[in-house]
Formats: sequence, structure tokens, C-alpha cells
Amino acid sequence: MSSIDIAVDAVPSGTAGERLGAPSHRAPSPKRRKSGGFTPYLLLVPGSVVLAAVVGWPLIQLVIISFQQYGRAQVFGAPAPFIGFDNYLKVLSDQQFWNVLLRSFSFCVVNVVVTMALGTLIALLMTALHKFFRTLLSIGLLLAWAMPALTATIVWGWMFDTGYGVINFVLTNWFGLGYHNHSWLINPLSFFLVATIIVVWGAIPFVAFTIYAGLTQVPGEVLEAAQLDGAGTVQRFRLVVFPYLRSIFVVVIILQVIWDLRVFTQIFALQGIGGIREQTSTLGVYIYQTSLAGGEYGIGGAIAVITVIIMMAISLYYVRQSIREEEL
Amino acid sequence: MRKLSIAALGITAVLALAGCATTSGDTGGAAEKGNIRVWLVGTDTPQAARDYLKTTFEKQNPGSTLAIEEQAWGGLVDKLTTSLSGSDSPDVVEVGNTQAAAFTSAGAFLDLTSDYTTLGGNDLLPGFVEAGSYNGKFYAAPLYSGARLVFYKKDALAAAGLSVPKTLAEYVSHAETLATANPGKSGIWWPGQDWYNALPYIWENGGDIASFTNGKWAAGFSSAGSITGLTEVQQVMTKASVAPKDGNETNPQVGFCDGSTLQLSAPSWVKWSILAKADAATPGCPTQEPNLGVYALPGKTGGAAAVFAGGSNIAVSAKSAHSALAKKALAIILSDGFQTIYGKNGLVPAKLSLASTLGTDDVAKAIADAAGHARLTPASPKWANVEASGVLTDFFVQIALGGDVKALAAALDTKINGMLNG
Amino acid sequence: MSARAGSTRKRVISVVLSVTAVIVFSAAVFPVYWMIQTSFQPNNEIQGSIVNFWPENFTLKNYQTVLFDSARSQFIPALRNSLAVTIITVVVSLIFAFLASLAVTRFRFATRKAFILTILIVQMIPGEAMIVSTYRVLDSWNLLNTIGGLSLVYIATVLPFTIWTLRGFVNGVPIDLEEAGMIDGLSRLGAFWRITFPLLAPGLVATGVFGFIQAWNEFLLALVVNSRPAMMTLPVWLRTFQVQSGTTNWAAIMAGSTLMAIPVIVFFLIVQGRMTSGLVAGAVKG
Repeated sequence: MSSIDIAVDAVPSGTAGERLGAPSHRAPSPKRRKSGGFTPYLLLVPGSVVLAAVVGWPLIQLVIISFQQYGRAQVFGAPAPFIGFDNYLKVLSDQQFWNVLLRSFSFCVVNVVVTMALGTLIALLMTALHKFFRTLLSIGLLLAWAMPALTATIVWGWMFDTGYGVINFVLTNWFGLGYHNHSWLINPLSFFLVATIIVVWGAIPFVAFTIYAGLTQVPGEVLEAAQLDGAGTVQRFRLVVFPYLRSIFVVVIILQVIWDLRVFTQIFALQGIGGIREQTSTLGVYIYQTSLAGGEYGIGGAIAVITVIIMMAISLYYVRQSIREEEL
Repeated sequence: MRKLSIAALGITAVLALAGCATTSGDTGGAAEKGNIRVWLVGTDTPQAARDYLKTTFEKQNPGSTLAIEEQAWGGLVDKLTTSLSGSDSPDVVEVGNTQAAAFTSAGAFLDLTSDYTTLGGNDLLPGFVEAGSYNGKFYAAPLYSGARLVFYKKDALAAAGLSVPKTLAEYVSHAETLATANPGKSGIWWPGQDWYNALPYIWENGGDIASFTNGKWAAGFSSAGSITGLTEVQQVMTKASVAPKDGNETNPQVGFCDGSTLQLSAPSWVKWSILAKADAATPGCPTQEPNLGVYALPGKTGGAAAVFAGGSNIAVSAKSAHSALAKKALAIILSDGFQTIYGKNGLVPAKLSLASTLGTDDVAKAIADAAGHARLTPASPKWANVEASGVLTDFFVQIALGGDVKALAAALDTKINGMLNG
Repeated sequence: MSARAGSTRKRVISVVLSVTAVIVFSAAVFPVYWMIQTSFQPNNEIQGSIVNFWPENFTLKNYQTVLFDSARSQFIPALRNSLAVTIITVVVSLIFAFLASLAVTRFRFATRKAFILTILIVQMIPGEAMIVSTYRVLDSWNLLNTIGGLSLVYIATVLPFTIWTLRGFVNGVPIDLEEAGMIDGLSRLGAFWRITFPLLAPGLVATGVFGFIQAWNEFLLALVVNSRPAMMTLPVWLRTFQVQSGTTNWAAIMAGSTLMAIPVIVFFLIVQGRMTSGLVAGAVKG
């Protein structure tokens, strides 16, 4: 608390106004794009071919089997009858699916908010640090970023281990709390607390580095004015610095939303360590359990299609906005 | 048990007949040469057996080679589903006995009905033959079985004035007595995810996992017998075990070695984990050898209980490019020479006649007792899906947490019925 | 407020910020530290009633186990496979993404917006649902159990993201430069290649990192597509040490995890400077 107080009166408030005006939003100037005849299509060929073959074709198959009765026997060549929207109806009428969906979205929102908030704070911290500490912090973040998700989950899982984890050990032996043999994964909320720690810990470096990079591009005097200022620090950041970083925030948030909504490795690996699957599955894990583990490929396909439609609906606002502003 | 035996008997009879009827066999095999790929899963199959298979096969089939590709249990069903249906299929594959039905019913395996007699016939473990058969045809042979035994600390039992229990009820009450006398220790170490160990309680009390009547599967966790058994399970898990309520059964030797586990029920090879030397990759506590006792889980009315028979089946891929050679490899795997190596390493061989290879010590006796009463999970093609979905581990974790047995069992039955009949 | 009081305040703030930085650093690094220190402890000591914060009985045995244990001595082949797949993925995806991002930033054409939208949507598809169909595609081209096949799938996975982010970097390179080059006699493609591409170096590094992470860490597809033990990648190799029942060698898993993380850390340290400057360029000029 005290640190904030000190920070708050530290820098005199009220810096000059006109230089702080946010830049008008700089969209890439579409006027300068050339028509170019066949050239653009030619340039798109390599990427499009790969995407069409490795994503497009399987995607078409996925949509087809989502209308079929498609189980393990069909994988081995049994005929797959078309059953209309039966798979979709089955999914939509399954309470479990809605639970999973709600869980995934809540998890996503919490993780994105926490990641963005902490990432931004760390980025701001980096701008204010001396070189030595900034380098130290960068190295720390870099190490966390370099940890593969699977490895990270195994290590965090081990740290939160019921019997031999360092977390329980410290809480019990250093703070005298009753955490001996405490299971962190058995309660769904506690499970997601651990999952959030792992995901946020892994995602912060990207967010912090990107926003820090953006901050270094904001004119120095703007930053100085907004930094650690009087009562309205948050507001100043929002009004003065944020407009410079708006497009960065948009891109980073979109990526975080997509990644956190699709989170698989961390949840899947944690479920192997403990917890109750039914109460902790997110969309990715649920699809995996239904299609690959459960052998219900048709239903898994339907879930995937529904998921994509929902995600598209959510991003529709952003997409329309971008198209209007010629940002795409 | 009785019902299963009859079913198994029926199948073996049909298969034996079929074996006699079709004597054609493979003829073009003599000239065929190729590289046979064998998938063995996990580290259960001893190195000696692997070497035996490779050298014997390559001696018998000059010009052909055999490569063993070790696979991990994690994700095995996914891997088998894709690989066996693709063009790069392995030739011979091991599959967990509870997973076998998913593939026999899907047409993933080569029909071995005509080879049934030559592979061992009625000498093959009947329950595993049933697990590897579908619609009266034989697809996957038994590979080995592992019996579940109870390991205990002799001094702990003696200190509490207890002797080896004679009945299941006595086993449960001993566990509680031990736990009460030794606070912070497990009378029976039982992590919540370990559902295989709960099955004997259900079976011994007259319950069943699922039964097939009138063309439909009906899960039986909420039957009166099952509830009695599950209540006992809950009693042990909540009152006699300090194992993590949502933990899995990995590393059972750790608690035994640090003294916090006084008894545990586990596959027979756990003996070797406990006695692993101090310089092993995962050290045990060899000094505990004189204190390590073992017995077969007692049944409700004495004798050995019906326990779950873990183990594996082995099959030839329907897509194998060298099916004649693959069958020859399979024949070596089921030969006495190969199977004896399993017996010597504490695993139950695929043939009844080789039970004696287990030896004559306490563990061997306990294995023989347990194996004689072993049972399997329902032979539904969709049972593997039930296991993979995790509903069973979820269920027993909730039991371990002290949940309402009746309500949980009813909910579980609904889910399993949906999956088996869906 | 006197100047003196102000400078004291400043110093206090600076100390507080530095302390905060150290705390954040510790939080970021602790799991990495814990992984490494656990990997140097004997397996039976990490599962004891006392938790060691430092390896009391330092041992290299776990590394010996994961590297040379005869049953699973697959580390070297797995490392080779992972390196090959990762390098191919990063290089190819960057080249393809560079071409595509030129198309969408420098030209006007009918399907431009549709293409960008497609790229956004593709990233939303849950890959877990498509594994069987992806397997089929690779099978039909005889690409199962090959480095190329797995790389191809990873390229497709990271391409949308790479194009999406690289657009910003390409936008940051002024068109005037290309036009100047064309006046000097370069063709349009020649100008892209000779002028724009080199200027993109930081951006390429920044976006290439994602291809690297994806190809290095992906587990599920690698498990299924490269099913032959000789073709497995490091994440699949690591999973062979974790078993559901029986004896999981935690210390060995930590040793394996450490080995798997080292190349990434080395790579990140090498590109770190460029990554930061690259992010700067792409993020703001975009």
C-alpha cells in the first residue's frame, strides 16, 4: 500500500496539455495500395495452398462428419449415415456442454483481464526501472516465456503437489497454516486458481514485452506526464498513453482471448494430476474427450463447429469495426 | 463371475469349432519377407522377452526382421485409432484388455478365429479371450495379466494384534483399526482416482458394473449390492487412507517406504518397486523385504475375492502389409518360451498351463489365488470410451471426498448407460 | 516541495520499484529454478517429508537416466526431430507469411478482406477436433512419420498468426523505399526481396518466436502423427516418463523438462535484443 502512496505524491501533477494529445488513429493508408493485377494472388499462393490442404480440407471433413453418425467404427471404414442435425441437437441439449462453455468463457475472461492488467503494470514498471533491474526483470520474464506449456504445467503441478509440493510445505511449515496434504485441484475453483496461475504466468511475458515495446515508442514527455502522477494515474494512463497503444492492446487482447478460450495443454495435464474432470473441463479438453478419447467424432465435430460460430459471433463487433476503419 | 465364465466358455467353444472348420490357414507365407513392427506398451514386457521375440522370429524367418516399438499408455487409444486405420499401420499391437473391445468391434484387427487352436485354444486365459472376441469371432489374443494383491507391513499388523484378514469385512475393519492406531498413516493407501481397486467390493456384494440384457447395456453401480460395496469403499477411503483424495495410483512404493502406508492393494509388480535398490532410477527400500507381507484380497465369505484383472491383449492389425509374418510373430508371443518369461517376472502368463512359472513363494501363491478369481470390465465395444471419458475416476474421487453414494451412483449409471447405448 | 525532499522521494520510489522488480523476477523465475534444482536431487529425496530448497545430495543420476537409460534412450533422436521440425516450421512459415503479408498490405484485390477474415477465423478452430482428418491428409500424401509432414501441419498452424502479425511490420516499412528501388531498376518483387525483407528482420524474429514455441511444444499431433518411436519429438519423449500407474520418476521428468527448455532459453537469449526492437517496430508503426 505504502508504495502506491509514495508513488502517488512523487511526481508533480499537471503537465502541459497540447503535446499530450493522442495521435489521430493511424490506419495503414489504403489509398497507396496498388491494384497489382495477378501479383497479390501469386504472393498468396504458397500460404493459401498450405492452409487449404492442412486446415481447409480437414475442416470440410470436420463439418461433414458433424452431420454424420461417426464413431470409431467409421474411422475404420464402416459406412457413416447422415443424421441431419442430430449431433448438434445432442450437444445443444446437453447441460454438460453449456457448463463447459460457461466455464471456458469465465476462465478466458478472468485470464485475459488478469494477464492484461499484470502485463501492463509490469511493462510500466519496466519503463521506470534502472537499466540493471530492467535487464534482470527481462531475463526473468524471458525464462518464464521460454518454458514450454507442458513442462510448465508439470513443474507447477509438482509445486502444488498434495503430498510433496513446495507450496503446501511453505504454507504449513513457515506460516503455520493447515495445508499439510492439502489438495489444490480437488475443488474446481481452486483447480482453476492453479490453472490461472500457470496460464497467466506463461502469458505475461508476451504481453509485458509487447506493451513495453509500445511504450518505448510513446514520446518521452507524454509518458513522463502520465507516469506515476497525482490522483488520476489510472485516468491519465487511459486518456494519455492508451490512445498511442490502442492498436497494440486490440491485437494482444484478441490473441489472448483466442488462446485462452482454446486452452488445452495446461488443463489436460492438470487433470492428469488431480481434480474432477467433469467439473474442470474446458472446451478444448471437452472436445478431445468427446472425439478422440470417447470415439464420438461426429459429436466432437459438432462441438467444434458450434465453438467456432460462437467465437465468430463474439469477434463480429471487432471485425466490423476494423472493416469500417479500413484497419484490416 | 459365474455368468462371465459361462459366456467365456461359450465363446471358446465356438472359437474351437471355428478353428477346426477352417483349416486352410495362410499358404503364401513361406516366400514372404518383410519388416514386422510390433507395438508393445509401457515397460511391463521384460527385456528378455523382447530379445527372445526378435531373435526367434528372425531365426525362423530368414530375410525378415522384427522391430519392437515401445509406446506409452498415455494417449494409446488415440494413437491406435489413427495408426491402425492408416497406411503406416504397425503389424502387431498390444492393447489394454479393457480397450480391446473398442477395436475388435471396429474392424481394426485381423480375424484370428482360424488360428485360435494353434495359438493355445482353451488354454488361453478365458476372460481375456472374451475381451478379445466380438460377434463370435476371435481378434485379440491374451498377452499377460497382472493380479492385484494386498501388500502389508508385517510389523504394523503385529503391533495392532491383527492377523491376515479372512473376509472382506475383516479387511475393511483391519484397515480402520490400523489407521486409528497410527494417526497420519494409511491402514489402506487408496488415492481417489484408483477405481480398479473398488471393483472387488462391488462384485463381492453381488453388484455388477454393467450387464447386457435384451440388447441393451444397463450400468449397475446403483444396484443394492453395488451400493453396499461402494459404501465400504467410501469407509476405507475416508477413514483408513491418507492418500490424496484426487490422486492417482502412481508411485505406491513411496508411502510404503517412508512408513506412511501400512497396507495397499496394487498390481503384483509393485513388489519390485518397493524392493528396488537404492541406486535404481526410482529407488525403493530393499531393507523392508523381511517386513513386506502379501496376501490375496479376501472375499465376502472367505477365500480370494473377485479382483480386477489388469493386463493386455495382442492382435494383428487388419491393415498389416505382412499378415502371414505378423501371425508368425504372434505365435512366438504366445509360445511357452515367451510366456514363461512373463511368469518368471511376476506377470500372469496368457496360458493357464503356465501358471506354475510364477514360482512358489508368497507372492506367487497370492497371484495364483487372485488370478483364479479375476474378472474383467464389461465387454462392450464402447467400454473404452467410458474409461477414457474419466467418469469413473471422477466418481471415485467424489466417493473419497465423502459424497452421497446413492446419488452419485445413480448419476454415474445414467452417464454410463448413455455412453454404452449411445 | 523542496528539491531535496523531491530527490529523496525519487530515491525511495526507485528503491520501491527495484524491490518490486526483484519480486516479479522471483515469481517469474521460481518455477524454472524449482525444476532445475529438483532435477539434481535423488528421486527418493524429492518425495520425502522435508522439501529441499537446494539439492543436499547433488546428483547427475537423473540426467543419466533420461539420456542413457537403455529402455528410453531416445533423447538424441527426439532432440534431432524437434530441432528439424522447429527450424523448418519457423523458416518456411516466415517466408510464406512474408509473401502473404506483402499481398495484403501492398495491394488492392478482390478477396483481400476475405483472406484476412479467413486468417482470423482459422485461428479459432479447436485443433483437437481435427486430428483424425489431419492424420488422413498426411496419410494420403505418405507424410506420416516424417519430419516434413509434421512440419507442414505446424506451418499451417502458425501461418495465420504469423501473417496476421507480420502485416503490421510490413506496414512499418515505407512504400517510398520500394518505389525508390524500382526507380533504380529493381522489379517490384525484386524491391520486396532486396529492400523490404532485410528491413523486416526484427519483425521476422518477433513473429518467428511463435512458430518456434508452437513447433517445439506441441504434443497431441506429434503423438499421433509421428507414432514411430524413432520419429517422436521432445514433448512426446517427455511424456513417456509420466505414467498413470506404477512408478513415475519425478526427478527424471524434471531433468527431461530442463533439457527440453534449454534450447528455447538459448534461442530466446540470442534473439532477445532483436525481439524487443522488432516488437517495437511492428507494434507501433502498424
